[in-house]
Formats: sequence, structure tokens, C-alpha cells
Amino acid sequence: MPWRRPTNSGEDSMETELPSISEEEKDTLQEIMNIAFGKAAAELAEVINIFVVLSVPYIKVLKAEDLPEYLRYEVRDFSTISIVEQNFWGKFRGGAFLVFPADAGKALITMLDAEHETTFESGSMEILEKETLMEVGNILIGACVGKITELLGDVVTYSPPTVLVENKPHDILPERLFDPEYTAIVMKTVFRFDERNVSGFLFLVTTQDSMEWIKQSLAEFLEHYE
Amino acid sequence: MARKILIVDDSPISRKMLKSCLPKDDDTEVHEAGDGLAGLEKFKEIGPDITFLDLTMPVMDGAQALEEMKKQNPDAVIIVATADIQVKSIERVMGLGAFLVLKKPPTRESVGDALAKADEFRGRQHGN
Repeated sequence: MPWRRPTNSGEDSMETELPSISEEEKDTLQEIMNIAFGKAAAELAEVINIFVVLSVPYIKVLKAEDLPEYLRYEVRDFSTISIVEQNFWGKFRGGAFLVFPADAGKALITMLDAEHETTFESGSMEILEKETLMEVGNILIGACVGKITELLGDVVTYSPPTVLVENKPHDILPERLFDPEYTAIVMKTVFRFDERNVSGFLFLVTTQDSMEWIKQSLAEFLEHYE
Repeated sequence: MARKILIVDDSPISRKMLKSCLPKDDDTEVHEAGDGLAGLEKFKEIGPDITFLDLTMPVMDGAQALEEMKKQNPDAVIIVATADIQVKSIERVMGLGAFLVLKKPPTRESVGDALAKADEFRGRQHGN
């Protein structure tokens, strides 16, 4: 069941309160996310011997103040989580949050370690987990955001990724990026690493500053297909 | 007789993008379906000359639909149009009988090239 903002009347009034994007814009953004994550999965599969099972992406517009609750709801099936977070700046601006169940890092270590035996020098399991998640996050987030911005005609710079291992879901705290009064677009994709039976989410959350640019860029993108 | 093309994709925008890349002066009849199952039904109903098939779709995914379509007609020309460009995905659908894989987003050039190859293959199938 999709997340709905709780209201006093029990109704979901969110869609009517927010600066909206049209159905066509939402569909286009969904297709762009689909293309971008497909590219990211292929890049990851080139680096490590893995097959990524993709799903249909999901786009939601919501108030930034509702982001933490929305993200907690989405990952509610994971009791503890590991997060790779990376912010990006350009005309397309926001944060990327790659969320795994907490044991994913350990499951992925063997795979990366086998491919890059010289990568890990530390014997500490926690460091290995962080390095593994950072490597996977770097590839998936960089390729996905990079492809979106390429398709929409922008170039972004990235903050160094940060990795939080084994946090409670309430520790997803993107709100520091976002003024609570603002609107955010959430682009979500769910994926599964087939061989390791590990599922995860990638959320891209853009700020209101990007909204006008996104709408304009989507219109220009579609002009190629008129 | 008009060439029948079937486009199966859950994204209306994706179908629109692909349609816009088809040659404009072609004698072509375009049919559409929004998921693998609807695509399979449409495939049985119209017997398309060429099918463009997405992979990541609800209800029935593209790989399943491809398998069923090839069971219906082993000679069917099915072009998998997908964002899933992992080598294993491509190998899988080629193993299931896809004619070729068209990487998203489509362009007039990539679609034109795929259609030319498909037409040439169909010509050979029919001994022309």
C-alpha cells in the first residue's frame, strides 16, 4: 500500500496542497529514472558479477516535512538498515539515499572481495561493510544521477558519499537538506541482487529549487519525441 | 498491405517516444498494449509483423510475454526495447528468441536501424 500523509480527517489531502507536476511530467520522469537505473545496474554488473532485478520506478511529489516519515514508511520491512547517502548539486539538486537491510553489507562483501581482492586492506568487518556499501553506492548513485542529468541536459557535482551501517529506519534524515515548507520530488526504485537475495531502495529526492528546471527540461526532452 | 507493429510498454510516455521514432512515411499500422499480458492478448489478436517489447512491466513482465509470444509464433520478430542493458538480461532475452535488443531511450536512428534489420529478416523469411 503506498504511503499517504496522515490528516485530521483521515483523508489524503496532499496532492491538492502541493505545486503539482502533470501526469505527463510524472510519466516522463518515471521513464527517465527507469533508463537511468538500468544504466546504473549495467555499470554495477560490469564491475562485479551480479545481476540486478529491476522494477518499475515510482515518482511522488510531497512536502519536504513529510520526507522522513515517508522514507521510514517505505523501508518499514527492514528492522535495521544501512544507508549510503550522497548529495548532488547542479540545476538538478538534491540527495540520493541507497537503503539496504542491515545485513546486506556482509552479504555483498564476499562478492566484491572476490572481484577486487586488493581493495580491502582492513580486517575490520565494519570497515569492510562500509567500503563495500560505499563502492556499490558510488556506482549506483553516480551512474543513475549522471544519466538523469545527461538526459535532462545538466551536469552535477557530488558530495563524498557517507555510509551509515545498521541504523534504525528513523535515522534516515534528509530533512537537513530540505526546508520543511518546500516541495520535494521523490524518485524511488526497488531492486534485488539476484544471487545474494538482497533487496534495496534507491530514493532520489530533489529540492524545490530544482522544480522549475525539471519541468522545463522534461518539456525539452519530450520535444525530441513530438 | 500495411505493416503491423505492436508496442508493449507500461509507460505511456515510452510508447509515445517509440511511436514518434517510427518512420513517418511508412505504411504502418501501430497497435499498443500497457503490460505483458495485454500485449500477449493483442499479439494473438492481430498477429503483428514486428513487436517492440519492454521488459520491466507489471502483471506479466516482458521476458514472460516474450516466451509466450514465441510459443504462439516461433517466427515472430520481437524487438526487446528496454532500459535493462545488463549483459545477463540481454543474453537471457536473446536466448528466449528476441530478434534484437533496442536500448532506451529510442532514437529515430536506432529505431530505423532496428526496423531495417527486421524488414530484411522478414524478407528472407518470406523468400523475397
